Amino acid sequence: MRVLQGIDVADMTRFNPDRRAPLWWGILGLITIESAVVLTFCVSYMYLAAYAEAWPPSGEAPPLLWPSINLALLMTSALTMFLAGQAINRGNQRGLALGVTTSVLLATTVLVLRTLELMAYEFSWKDHAYGSIVWAISVFHYVHVTSIVVGSAVVAILAWRRYFTSQRQIGVVVDTNYWYFVCIAWIPFYLLLFWGPRVYGQ
Amino acid sequence: EGPQSALDPAGSAAELIARLWWPTLFVAVLVTLLVLALLAVAIFRAHKRNAALPLSARQSRNLVIAGGIILPLAATIPFALSSFSIGRTIDAPLPDNAMTVEVIGKLWWWEVHYLDEAGDRIATTANEIHIPVGEPVRFLLKSDNVIHSFWVPNLQGKTDMIPGRTNVTSMTANEPGVYRGQCAEYCGTQHALMAFLLVAEEPEAFDDWLAGQRQPAAAPETDAQARGHDVFLDAGCAACHTIRGTPANGEIGPDLTHIASRRTLAGATVPNRTGHLGGWITDPQHVKPGNKMPPSELTPEELKTLLGYLESLE
Amino acid sequence: MTIETHAGPRDVIDSPEETAQLERTWHSPGGFIGWFTHVNQRMIGKRFIITAFIFFLLAGILGIVIRLQLAAPEQQLIGPELYNQFFTMHGTVMMFFFAIPVMEGFAIYFVPLMIGTRDMAFPRLNAFGYYVYLIGGIVLFGSLLLSMAPNAGWFNYVPLSGKLYSPGYGVDVWTTMITFIEVSALTAAVELIVTTLRMRAPGMSLNRMPLFVWAALVMSFMIVFAMPAVIVSSTLLILDRLMDTQFFVVAGGGEPLLWQHLFWYFGHPEVYIILVPALGMISTIIITFTRRPIYGYTALVLSVVAIGFVSFGLWVHHMFTTGLPQLGMSFFTAASATIAIPSGVQIFCWIASLWGAKIRFHTPMLWVLGFFAIFVIGGLTGVMVASIPFDTQVHDTFFLVAHFHYVLIGGAVFPLIGATYYWWPKITGRMMSEAAGKWSFWLAFIGFNVTFFPMHQLGLEGMPRRIYTYATEMGWGDLNLLATIGALVLATGFGVTLINAIWSLFRGQQAEPNPWGAPTLEWATDSPPAFYNFRHIPVVASRWPLWDWERDGERAVVTGLRNDRREVVLTSVLDAKPVGVQVLPAPTIWPFVSAVAASIGFVGIIFHPIFFVIAFFLVFFSLVAWFWPRRPWRED
Repeated sequence: MRVLQGIDVADMTRFNPDRRAPLWWGILGLITIESAVVLTFCVSYMYLAAYAEAWPPSGEAPPLLWPSINLALLMTSALTMFLAGQAINRGNQRGLALGVTTSVLLATTVLVLRTLELMAYEFSWKDHAYGSIVWAISVFHYVHVTSIVVGSAVVAILAWRRYFTSQRQIGVVVDTNYWYFVCIAWIPFYLLLFWGPRVYGQ
Repeated sequence: EGPQSALDPAGSAAELIARLWWPTLFVAVLVTLLVLALLAVAIFRAHKRNAALPLSARQSRNLVIAGGIILPLAATIPFALSSFSIGRTIDAPLPDNAMTVEVIGKLWWWEVHYLDEAGDRIATTANEIHIPVGEPVRFLLKSDNVIHSFWVPNLQGKTDMIPGRTNVTSMTANEPGVYRGQCAEYCGTQHALMAFLLVAEEPEAFDDWLAGQRQPAAAPETDAQARGHDVFLDAGCAACHTIRGTPANGEIGPDLTHIASRRTLAGATVPNRTGHLGGWITDPQHVKPGNKMPPSELTPEELKTLLGYLESLE
Repeated sequence: MTIETHAGPRDVIDSPEETAQLERTWHSPGGFIGWFTHVNQRMIGKRFIITAFIFFLLAGILGIVIRLQLAAPEQQLIGPELYNQFFTMHGTVMMFFFAIPVMEGFAIYFVPLMIGTRDMAFPRLNAFGYYVYLIGGIVLFGSLLLSMAPNAGWFNYVPLSGKLYSPGYGVDVWTTMITFIEVSALTAAVELIVTTLRMRAPGMSLNRMPLFVWAALVMSFMIVFAMPAVIVSSTLLILDRLMDTQFFVVAGGGEPLLWQHLFWYFGHPEVYIILVPALGMISTIIITFTRRPIYGYTALVLSVVAIGFVSFGLWVHHMFTTGLPQLGMSFFTAASATIAIPSGVQIFCWIASLWGAKIRFHTPMLWVLGFFAIFVIGGLTGVMVASIPFDTQVHDTFFLVAHFHYVLIGGAVFPLIGATYYWWPKITGRMMSEAAGKWSFWLAFIGFNVTFFPMHQLGLEGMPRRIYTYATEMGWGDLNLLATIGALVLATGFGVTLINAIWSLFRGQQAEPNPWGAPTLEWATDSPPAFYNFRHIPVVASRWPLWDWERDGERAVVTGLRNDRREVVLTSVLDAKPVGVQVLPAPTIWPFVSAVAASIGFVGIIFHPIFFVIAFFLVFFSLVAWFWPRRPWRED
C-alpha cells in the first residue's frame, strides 16, 4: 500500500496556553466535577433544612458581617488573579508575579478570618445535622482555599523566577481558572450558610 | 406455591397487582418472541446464499421506527396507565375509623400494637398480626433502629419502615387464612429470619382474639406455674420482656403477656412448641445466630417450671 | 470535511534509524522499578483490564459460594455473618472494582488506537488512576481476608451502615475505598473526554468517530456527573462514623433518606455507565462481522446520548417502597419507561444491519447474539419494575436479582467477553481458539439462563434478597438448586475462556494486523502495536478508513512530528482539523508516589483524622514534584 504525505505538522505550534491545550480542558473537567460536588453539598444542605423542625436548631441565624467581608476579599483576589493572567499575556513577568502574590495574600487573609470564625462557632458538628452540614461545607471550602493558596504560592515562586512567558504559561492558565472556581464556589455556599437560615428559619 | 407468594393473592391490593402482572407477562413474552424471531430472520436470511440480501435504507428506517419507537410506546403506555390507576386505587386513604395497627421493626422481630380510635395502644403482641377478613386495616409502620420493610406478599406489596418517619399502608384480606410476611429490606445479621404471621379471621373470631390480647396475663394457677413465674422474674428475663400484670416490664424483647397464644417463636423462625421454646430459651444463638437474646443457665427443673408457666399464658 | 492532499503527494519513506529513535522515545522502562514508571496508555489500559478480570474472578467465586449456601433450605455452609460479608463484597467488587474499571480499561487501551493517536492527553494522570484503583482493590479485598470486610450491602443504607449498627472497620473500609475508586474513575473519565475531543486523527470529525469511541465518551461524561454524588454521600457517611456528625442520625436531625437519594442519583447512572460502552462494543463487532457499514449510525449515537441523559432522571425508582408521595414517584415510572425507546432503537438498528448480511459467526459475534436474547428479557423486566404497584411486590426480591443480572451480565458481560475475543489478537498478537470460544459461549449462555431465569419465579413466590437461609416449607428449594447448578455451568463457561486466554498466550496462532477485516484504526497497526501505536498518525476521510485504504490501495499520513520526544497532533473538537502539536511527558515514578500518598490519607483516616492533614501535604508535595518543570523546558 502506498503511504502518502497527507498533512505536515512540523511548523505547528508546540505551545498551547489557551483552550487548545489538553491541560486547559483537563482543568475544565476538574472544575466540572468539583461543581457537581458543590451542587451535591448544596442539595444536601437544602434537603436537611427542608425536613428539619427548626433551622438552625438554636433559632438564631448566623451573623453576616465577616462572611460578607470574606466574600469581598475572595472576589478581589479573583480580580487580581485575572490581572495577573492579563499581564503574562502581554509578556509582563513582573505583573504576573505581583498579581499572583497579591491574590495569595488576599486568600491567606481569608483563611485567617475563616479560622477565627470557625473557632467562634457556638455549635459543634456533633450537635445536630445543622452543625454537621455547616461544618462540612465550611471545611470543604477551607481546604480548597488552602490548596489554591499553596498551589498558587508555587506558581508565584516560578513567576518570580521568570519561568513563565506569554507562550509558556499553561501553568498560569490552569492555576487562574481553578482559582476562579474556588472563589465562585463560595457564592452559593455563602448564600446557603448565611442567608439560608433566614429563609428556612421563617 | 409456598405460604408467601405474590402469585397467590388473598387481599385486595395483591389481587390488583396480580391482575396487572399476568397481562404484562403476556405482552413481555410476545415482545421477546417477536424480537428474537426478527433477529433469527435477519441472521439466517442470507445464510445459505452467495450474496447478501440487505434491506433498503427505507425498509431499514421503517423497521427501526416500528420496532424501536412504536413498539415500545405501544407496550409501555397502556402498561404505565394501568399501573397509575392501580397505584391510585391501592393507595387511596382509608376511612378515619378504620382499624389501625402500629408495627415497629426491631432487630430482628416485629412489635405490634393495636390502637383505638384515639390512637392509644390497647394491646401489644409480637410477630403475629391478626386482622378481620373483609375489613380494610391501616398499618402505621415505624422503626427505632435500622430500615426494615413490611411485606405480606399474599395481601399487599411492601412498605419500608424508616427511622424518624411513619409510613402508612393498608390491607384488606378477602379470604381467611394464615399468611406469612417477611422483612424485605436488608437489616443486618438476621435479616433472613425476620418474619411474622398474618392471621386473617372472621370478624367474630378476631374480636375474641383482640379482647383476649387486651387482658393482662393469666395469673399462675398451679404451684409449678407460680414457681415458673418466679424463675422468670429471678433469672433476668424481666429485664427485656414484659408480662402485663406482673412486675416484668422490660422493653427490649417481645411482650410475652400472651405468648402461648402465638403460633411461632423468634420472628416466625420455629413453631411455638415446648421443645422449641425450651431450645430457644437455653440456646437462642443456635436457633438464630446473632440475635439479641442471651443464653440462659437454668437447671432442668427451673426450665421445666418456666416452660410450664409460659405455656399457661394464653 | 475532506483533507486536501496537495497536487502530487509525496510517498513517505521510513528510515530504520528514525523508526528506532521513535521506538526509544516511546519505550517504557523495564525492570521492577521501571514498572512503576510506565505511562503509556496501552500499558495502563492492559493493567486495568487484567486487574479488573482478577476482581471478576474473585467476586465470581464469592457468588458461587452464595449460590452453594442457597442451594438447599436450611444449609449450614456459611453463617449469616460471612454470608452478609460475601454478598456485600460480591456486589461492591462487581460494580466498582470490575465493571467500571474493565470498561475504562478497554476505553483507555482502544480509544487512542481507534482515534489514531499515540497516547492519552494526560499519561501520568492515567498511571495515577491505575495505582489508586489497584491500592483500593487490594485494601478492600484484604479486609475480607482479615475478617473485617464491610457487611452492610453494596448500597450501604444508613442507619444500618452507621456507627451504632455497624461497629468495626468494615463499613469504614467500604466508604473510604469507594471514594478512592471514584477518584480513579474520574481521572479516567476526564482523560478519555479530553483525548477524544482533542487528539483524534486529522479528518476524523465527530460524525466519523467509531461507535465504541462515542460510547466511551458518553460513559465518561456520565462518570463526571454521577460520581460526585457518591463521593459526597460516602464522605458524609465517613464523617458520621469517624467524626460523630449527624447527617444520617435521626436523633440528631439527620435524614436516612438523604443517603438513598444521593446514592441512587449516582447508582442508577452507574448501571448505564457499565451498559453504554458495551453497546459500543456490540456495534463494533456487528460492523466487522457483517463487513458492511452499520445502519443508523446517527440514530445509534443519539440513542446512546439519550440513554446517558435519561439515566439521570430515574433514581427514585429504586425508592418506590420508601413511602414517598405517589404522584411524584409516577414521574419516575414514566421516565423509566421512556428508556425503552433509545434501547429499542439500538436493537432495531442492529437487526436492520444484520438483516440479510453474510454474517461470519465467529466467537465475538456469538456473544453479541447471546446478548440480544438476554438483554431483551432484562429490559422488559426493567419496564415491569418501573410500575410502582408491581415494584412493591418484587422490590428487594429475587425477581430483582434476576432482572439486574439479565441486564448486567447479558447487557455488559456478554458483549465484554465478545469484545475480549475480538480485540485479544490486537492486545496480545495471538488468536484465541475458536472451538474453545464457542464451547465457552454455549456453556455460559445456558448456564446463565438456568441460573437466573428461575429467580424471577422465586421472587414472585416471595423470596427476598440478601437472606442467607430459608425454611424448607417455603417451597423455594427446587428452583434454588436449579439456579446453583446453573451457576456452576456458567462459571465453567467463563473458566473455558480463561483457559483459552492462557493457552493462547503460549500456543495461539500469530495474529496479523487486521485478522477480522475490520474497518477501524486500531487494526491499522501491528498486533500488538509498538509503544508509539502508529509509525505515522493516519489521516482519515470516512467512518471506515481501513476499508477505504483497501479499496484505494493508498493512504495518507501526518508527517512532521519529531521522533526524539513524545509528540502527538492536536485537532479541533468538531471536525478534527490539526491545530497544534502536544508534547507528552515521559515515564516517571511520581504518579505512583502520589497514589501512595493519597492512600495513606484514605486508609489512615479510618484510624485517625490527622491522616487527612498528613496526606493533604504529602499529596501536595508529590504533585509539585510531578509537575515541576525540568530544564531544559521541554517545549523549547
